[in-house]
Amino acid sequence: MSTVSLSQFHQTFFEESREGLDAMEAALLALDEGGDTELVHTIFRAAHSIKGGSATFGFPDMAAFTHEAESLLDELRDGRRAIDASIIELLLRSVDCLRGMFERAQSGAPLADAQSEQLRQELAASIGRHAPVTQAAKAAAAPAVDAWRIRFRPHAGMLMGGNDPVRMLRELSELGALNVQADADKLPPLAALDPSESHLGWIIELRGKASKAVIAGVFDWVEDECDLSIEAIEEPVAASPVAEAAAVAPVASVAPTAARATRESASESSSVRVGIDKIDGLIDLVGELVITQSMLDTFREGFDSNRIEALQAGLAQLARHTRSLQESVMGIRMLPIASVFNRFPRMVRDLSQKLGKQVKLDLVGEQTELDKTVLEKIGDPLVHLVRNAIDHGLETPDRRRAAGKGDVGTLRLEASHRGGSIVVEISDDGAGLNRDAIVNKALQRGLIASGDALSDEEVAELIFQPGFSTAAQTTDLSGRGVGMDVVRRNVVDLGGSVAIRSTQGKGSVFTITLPLTLAIIDGLTAMVGAEHYIVPLGSIVESVQLRKEQLRTVTGGGELFHFRDAWLPVIRLQDAFHCGGTRADIERGLVVVVEGEGSRVGLFVDELIGQQQAVVKSLEAHYRRVQGVSGATILADGSVALIVDIAGLVRMQGRRKAA
Amino acid sequence: MGSSKTASAGDGVVLPADCRMADLAGVKQALQAGLAAGALSVDGGAVERVDTAALQLLLAARRDAAKASVAFTWLGASDALRDAAALTGLAQTLELPAAMPA
Repeated sequence: MSTVSLSQFHQTFFEESREGLDAMEAALLALDEGGDTELVHTIFRAAHSIKGGSATFGFPDMAAFTHEAESLLDELRDGRRAIDASIIELLLRSVDCLRGMFERAQSGAPLADAQSEQLRQELAASIGRHAPVTQAAKAAAAPAVDAWRIRFRPHAGMLMGGNDPVRMLRELSELGALNVQADADKLPPLAALDPSESHLGWIIELRGKASKAVIAGVFDWVEDECDLSIEAIEEPVAASPVAEAAAVAPVASVAPTAARATRESASESSSVRVGIDKIDGLIDLVGELVITQSMLDTFREGFDSNRIEALQAGLAQLARHTRSLQESVMGIRMLPIASVFNRFPRMVRDLSQKLGKQVKLDLVGEQTELDKTVLEKIGDPLVHLVRNAIDHGLETPDRRRAAGKGDVGTLRLEASHRGGSIVVEISDDGAGLNRDAIVNKALQRGLIASGDALSDEEVAELIFQPGFSTAAQTTDLSGRGVGMDVVRRNVVDLGGSVAIRSTQGKGSVFTITLPLTLAIIDGLTAMVGAEHYIVPLGSIVESVQLRKEQLRTVTGGGELFHFRDAWLPVIRLQDAFHCGGTRADIERGLVVVVEGEGSRVGLFVDELIGQQQAVVKSLEAHYRRVQGVSGATILADGSVALIVDIAGLVRMQGRRKAA
Repeated sequence: MGSSKTASAGDGVVLPADCRMADLAGVKQALQAGLAAGALSVDGGAVERVDTAALQLLLAARRDAAKASVAFTWLGASDALRDAAALTGLAQTLELPAAMPA
């Protein structure tokens, strides 16, 4: 077959089809909420191009599947059938099924499985092509028939479309042994024959394990241009080998599929689609840089002091262009958060139906862009939070009424840029955190000694503890207590933070703050001894100069200082990194108050140099992982400065305290 | 008659390497000319690509020849041609030679 030469287009086809599926899903959901019939056209178009693509690129199973979906959509489009919830449900499941097929296609696994075949039969049955349900059920029960009789007569114009029966018969011959009988009765004499018109017909007997869907896939492209029937040849066949083959095949294919899938996802993450406007912008900027460079080049020959202003202007221009170039290059990695948000309408719909809740989902700021790496990693935490909000936060309609609220709960996802960060807020108007339940649970688990003195913030903080869950009973959605701590860890790994604000009876707001990119951070350069350290700006609360009387030494050698009604531990960087600071006297250095892992500490440094952008270089890649350090950067003078990992330092401090 | 047979065999219809719908007008004319001349020989030894349209054309010529009792001779048939004819179930009707004569 021609798959080899076409395989170069597969990646693009997969990507476009995924987008098509997303569009289908979105339109189906909108239709579910009473959208207009224009949506049906959108869905139909998406299904149609997936069908065409899969037939062209050699995925007959997928083509056969989409074909059924398309036929059903065609009935909806023509108004021959009314749209109801069951059809939307069926089509949504088809979208899921196709997603699964695409995954299998990417890993080279067989596309159709028992589930997809069953769903295809369901689709076919709903169209009424296989009207008797019993027959569909029978076919589903015994999907592998040994012999098929295919009657195929192209319409006169079929050849004109470039569809050659020779090619189709060759494809069929790959599915099993063929016995072909040509019917040339309608062939006119040579003189009257127009070579571009088809006058032949065939009766083909195919012996092999191919499913009907696969056979139909061969004719998929021409179904409107020929008379076609495919029927099983009833023969007394021993049932056991068929059943055996069906049972064994999927099991055998599991292991390699999983391995390939991992490899695929790795290669998938290595590419990004970039808008042509962004590329054009880059080319413009590079052009500007070249101009600036040639302008600066003129200073090489005969420089005298009266041209210093021109030189300064040139350097300023260079700085400006470099900055723009940097921003544009970063922009290439920036993708709208919509790709993550888009999965939620479907999830919310399914979950709320399952739980008998009514939920209105508001998505705000979907066009907010963030780094692709961050985007890929933020999906799972967001899914957790959304699930939690629906499962734990929002109440059932009757409980909402009892609480004096409307039946429909609101779940709002909002993304926005705030300074150098991106903020994602997940808010609901549900029951809010149940303070008593959380405190009781924490007491039970021995996480706290007594709940009396805890502030609301501290209570909320408890839900981020590993293994903490207050759901009355574990559902398959949430409540296994593996959620919030994982959420926080994932977000912190990205250099971000999670905060929670909750009012009992009014709802909760989870705020995730993330850096725009992982490649560059804004930091404060600090000196300790002869070394430079970069403290990420985002985690800095403020810096203070302490007086001796603000400092207390506690048993075990730890130091605390008084800061805004709280006692915070002091971490002396010179001790943490063993770099011999010159200023042991707390009054001669500075304390930078930072926040990490939900707690605040003071970092004692000799002095602060200033704020700068640091291009993050991985220490792990060039050296090895170092506790309390998240990476390194090169300073203007060429020396290396380490970037302080606040969360890591806090953990180190905790261990030292425990030791 | 003997001489005319040799002549038409010598000028037999040579099927092009790409024997598909777009290039069949000439083939059809040649086949018709052969039929009119009373003897039709076809050389399909160089055929690399062939489609249903071409097979159909050959079939029509073969049948017209039989009807008009015009001799129809294959001077050669490439693997591609025999393969396509076999797939479409036309090999027997076309009376393609099993192997290419030298």
